[in-house]
Amino acid sequence: MLTEIMDREFVYSGHVGCPGCGATIAMRFVLKALGEKTIMVLPACCWSVITGPYPLSALKIPVIHAAFETGGATASGVRAALDMMGDTETTVLTWAGDGGTFDIGFQALSGAVERNENFLYVCYDNEAYMNTGIQRSSSTPYGAWTTTTTGQDWKRLRKKNIVEVLVAHRIPYVATASIAFPDDLLRKTQKARETKGSKFIHIYASCPTGWRIPSEMSVKIARMAVQTNIFPLYEVEDGRKYTINYKPKEYLVREYFKLQGRFKHLTDQDLDQIQQMVNEDWELLLHKAGDRS
Amino acid sequence: MNEAKNPNPLFMPITYLTTESNKTGSWRFLHPQYDEKTSPCSVACPAGEDIARIEMLASQGLFKEAWETILRENPFPSVCGRVCFHPCEGQCNRRELDMAVAIHSLERFLADTAIRYGIKPVLEKRPSQKQRIAVIGAGPAGLSAAWFLSMLGYACHVFEASAEAGGVLRWGIPLYRLPLNALLHDIQQVEAQGVTIYTGKPVSPDVLEIMKKDYDAVFIGCGHGRGMSMNVPGEDLKEVSEGLDFLRKLREGETPPCQGVSAIIGGGNTAIDVARSVVRLGGKALLLYRRRRQDMPALELEVEMALEEGVKLQELVAPAAVARDEDQVVLTLQEMKIAGDEGGRARVAPDEGKTRKVRIDRIFKAIGAQADEPRHQPPAGDEGLLSLSHTVLVRGNQGPVMVFGGDLTNETKSVVHAVASGKEAAMALDTLFREGFEAIVPKLEACRVGEGPSLSMEIYMGGQRRLRNPHVVRYEEINTDYFGFIPRVIQPRLLKEERVQSFEEIDLKISANLAMKESERCFNCGLCNQCDNCFIYCPDTSVMRDKDHQGRHINYDYCKGCGLCVVECPRNAMSLREEES
Amino acid sequence: MKRVLEGSHAVAEAVRLAKVQVISAYPITPQTHIVEILSEYCTKGMMKAKFLRVESEHSCMAALIGAQSTGVRTFTATSGQGLALMHELLHWAAGARLPIVMAEVNRALAPGWNIWVDQTDSLAQRDTGWIQMYCEDGQEVLDSTLQAFRLAEVVNLPVMIVLDAFYLSHTYEPVEVPSQEEVDQFLPPFEPKFRLDTAHPCGFGPLVAPGDYMEMRYHIAMAMEEALDRFDEIEAAFAAQFNRRYGPVEAIDCEDADIVFITTGTVTSTCRLVLQDLRAKGEKVGILKLKLLRPFPTEQIREKLRSVKKVAVVDRNFSFGASGIFAQEVRAALCNMPVHPTVFGFVAGIGGRDVTPELLEMIYWQTKTSDVPQKESVWMGLREVKNVD
Repeated sequence: MLTEIMDREFVYSGHVGCPGCGATIAMRFVLKALGEKTIMVLPACCWSVITGPYPLSALKIPVIHAAFETGGATASGVRAALDMMGDTETTVLTWAGDGGTFDIGFQALSGAVERNENFLYVCYDNEAYMNTGIQRSSSTPYGAWTTTTTGQDWKRLRKKNIVEVLVAHRIPYVATASIAFPDDLLRKTQKARETKGSKFIHIYASCPTGWRIPSEMSVKIARMAVQTNIFPLYEVEDGRKYTINYKPKEYLVREYFKLQGRFKHLTDQDLDQIQQMVNEDWELLLHKAGDRS
Repeated sequence: MNEAKNPNPLFMPITYLTTESNKTGSWRFLHPQYDEKTSPCSVACPAGEDIARIEMLASQGLFKEAWETILRENPFPSVCGRVCFHPCEGQCNRRELDMAVAIHSLERFLADTAIRYGIKPVLEKRPSQKQRIAVIGAGPAGLSAAWFLSMLGYACHVFEASAEAGGVLRWGIPLYRLPLNALLHDIQQVEAQGVTIYTGKPVSPDVLEIMKKDYDAVFIGCGHGRGMSMNVPGEDLKEVSEGLDFLRKLREGETPPCQGVSAIIGGGNTAIDVARSVVRLGGKALLLYRRRRQDMPALELEVEMALEEGVKLQELVAPAAVARDEDQVVLTLQEMKIAGDEGGRARVAPDEGKTRKVRIDRIFKAIGAQADEPRHQPPAGDEGLLSLSHTVLVRGNQGPVMVFGGDLTNETKSVVHAVASGKEAAMALDTLFREGFEAIVPKLEACRVGEGPSLSMEIYMGGQRRLRNPHVVRYEEINTDYFGFIPRVIQPRLLKEERVQSFEEIDLKISANLAMKESERCFNCGLCNQCDNCFIYCPDTSVMRDKDHQGRHINYDYCKGCGLCVVECPRNAMSLREEES
Repeated sequence: MKRVLEGSHAVAEAVRLAKVQVISAYPITPQTHIVEILSEYCTKGMMKAKFLRVESEHSCMAALIGAQSTGVRTFTATSGQGLALMHELLHWAAGARLPIVMAEVNRALAPGWNIWVDQTDSLAQRDTGWIQMYCEDGQEVLDSTLQAFRLAEVVNLPVMIVLDAFYLSHTYEPVEVPSQEEVDQFLPPFEPKFRLDTAHPCGFGPLVAPGDYMEMRYHIAMAMEEALDRFDEIEAAFAAQFNRRYGPVEAIDCEDADIVFITTGTVTSTCRLVLQDLRAKGEKVGILKLKLLRPFPTEQIREKLRSVKKVAVVDRNFSFGASGIFAQEVRAALCNMPVHPTVFGFVAGIGGRDVTPELLEMIYWQTKTSDVPQKESVWMGLREVKNVD
């Protein structure tokens, strides 16, 4: 553990995140790694609320709340202004949820990284529109219940592979990270901070409220997502160089799904199918990383 | 809102205060708390050593502190690190993940390290008390009693009949298992604590009467030194002798004759010690045991090494008669058959009509021992008698209280049980002097480790350990996500070819590096090792750092009671309960 | 120095002279000439500014919100569909009290595609909290753009400089371009009242509960009112230095007029010719040119029209289901006067159609010969369209 980094704190108590909120854990980690010379662009997401109502802020860094779809663009402006003021030291961080990244903010994100704007975009992914009450997003995984995919109409479409989309932009650094692997997350954030150009980190941030899991299980679930290959930890440099950071032993996705209320309707057959999908994705990743020829 | 604090000239949506005014603790309906619990190893240790903590300190390189933590509960780490049968490892939760932590090797490492660097322990000691206590017998029980009594502030005088202190440790265990230095160090440690040992001072009944006038209590821990009888014809032949006497001669420096074949009757550690010593002296050893190998009370590893070294074993045979035949003896053996089960071991009975004979040169008996003299046994009856788990207190109408301990009262005769006995005696006497006879049992009950049979002196003396929850941590309560497979350290040993050449110690010391790695394998069940997971994962920034021993506390003004800290505590040192409304 | 410039280039010259630090733009006809030349200025180092070539107008405004919040002077230009796409963020910029300046080239909204002049795009942004200035010619564009930065930064509200597609954006005229020293004297460097600053961390634009939100909106309303006074002061300062002044409204021959045209943008210039002809014929006619839509110069309008009998409002825009938008505004401004002129509303030049002197004269005669308006809005110059059964 990078002790002195872990010891610093940029999130005040008293914020209004739900008990066990994974997004809040992710925020604490990322800010520890980035430090005080950071300006945050915060498009609409859970954290817009978590940070507290006027005149309160739970964050010890400057924050600009932004319209839902503007994470990439607003950050471009902040960066441009800082550059004009001669400040190249401060990190511009966009902190967006999956809705603001995969869906409504996708264009602005794609635009910003295509321009290779010098900023870090972090998507904390809780796999649905949680802030508005658990509606499905293009990040919602196959099999999940949400308030807009109810009953037998559960989501029967795959989650968008946002990381590969970003990799396709050939930006200097793309990584996945998990709240259950703090060392890895801190390292990647620091690496991103030291890399010039556009950086994207996709953080798996469990949501006890939306996933129908007990609050104390949120890190455990996040860890299982990695252990089951549902959310592999890897990083890609310059759109080409893949490094897989964690290779789990055989571990069945079934265990992960069983613990979550949002998947309780799934049959054994569904789970077998999901296992196949996960295996397929993992094989594909291994190919890209050069671990399979 | 406090507009006076708003630094912005415009009234617009810009924050200027922190959320700390929002006391989210009011959301909480579950209450996480630091709640250190009890490790199963420490419950299994008859001396109640705080093993989980010892290994935690060792893993941090705090070898002195780890060693002192042993000394609080056991004055014989150097000895026990070599000869203890380590029931702790049998209960280690880590067995369910891979293999038990090598607690035994680590204990020895810590003791050896202390010896090598001449470290002096710094231990809590109560102020001097007026009572004086005599201890008869400088074996592990007597010396332990003296050690703990001295910690509690009592002047202790130990009277030992032999020329040197140590009892069975000095005279009954071969050097290849327990080198002299290893023993002497522990004894010197006891003396350094302020205990006076008088050697060559047998206590006759007359002397005891005089003693009773000078002392407020007498601890009797003379041990079991006299062999049991086989009750077979020919037992009196000069070729038949006691295994313990053979070992004693060896330790006194003699080289008893061993040429030819020596039969050793028995299956305990003494039998194995004798057999292996015979081999080292150039003889052949034939081990005869009435049950099967797996039923032997001797340590399995000892048996295995004995067989490797050339000791022969015949199972399911009992001596029936001994006769001389020219310059050899003929031992008639009754073959035994399995007739049931008693406590996991085979119950055997003679297989009638089946006998066989072996021709040998001598016989060593190692079938158990008893007190040298009947007066060493606690009296029968229950008038003024208090039978505790490892000791018996006898309180007459006048004169000092007598405490019988060690092998005299222990069901299991082992070094660590002797330590337990000495500790129990010390606690019982202290309680008796301070609070009276009736207080003894409840007081001892309050000092049990995890409500098991073992006693903790640290708890008795009011140390931090008393705050622990007696709940014994189970494997399922460990968050094994934090513990990957790590192979157990392999205890380095002399090769068997080297072993049989001499009485050199077989087990070699492990390096500090290996010791630290091994101690890191320990789950530290139920203890906080300051891993910081609670701080790291708290979504509410509600785990605060402190400078005290605990190192952190929960800020209940903000803690929402999500319980993450409790689940992510790798070692179950926290717990979650319902919030009191 | 006098130069012959397109209206678009007049904007660009002003932006260069204002030492804007961050420009963000997305191309749309007929705004392109503004941003092309600015891009070139940045590339050539004629301006020390960062030019963000964003992927949409929405992102363009978002980027400026980010940049302006960080404490630099910013500018963009857009038109028609682009402005419509920005809509959400126009509210945002004003609510965040950001002095962003934007040139907006009036363009008709699709469908069908129409790149020619029509004011409905900018008027649809009337309630976003932006100051809007409608300009008549290249000089006014340049001067207003310079004034816009100063006004925006004083009241912390964004300003939109509005110019007609092609008739102004692509029309060359002689324009007096002031020197950098002169402009520096008029427009000091931007001093933000608040900015994203790691040394003084604040959260901009958080959740605001009903207990505070209404007051914050009221403060925007007050700032908009204040803008009228500030505009006057800034114009005075500008006039003192450059000897040019426009006013929130310009009254031409209104003192003795019975009928007054109310116009905006380039239609005003055409109307000036018509005015000469009508005056020559002895008609008592005048023009009231509206420059400011927001803040709306109600008092000035009332003052100028105190003794006028009829006004003819020419709207190059329309609010479906109601009337021309400037006509609505004028009616609302006048209705509480005890005695006020009758308001005749005319819709003309929609989607880039010519507003000719003849058409304006027709408007005049129709107004003069009617006691009351035939309708709230009369559409002028409509061709007959056959309905297909």
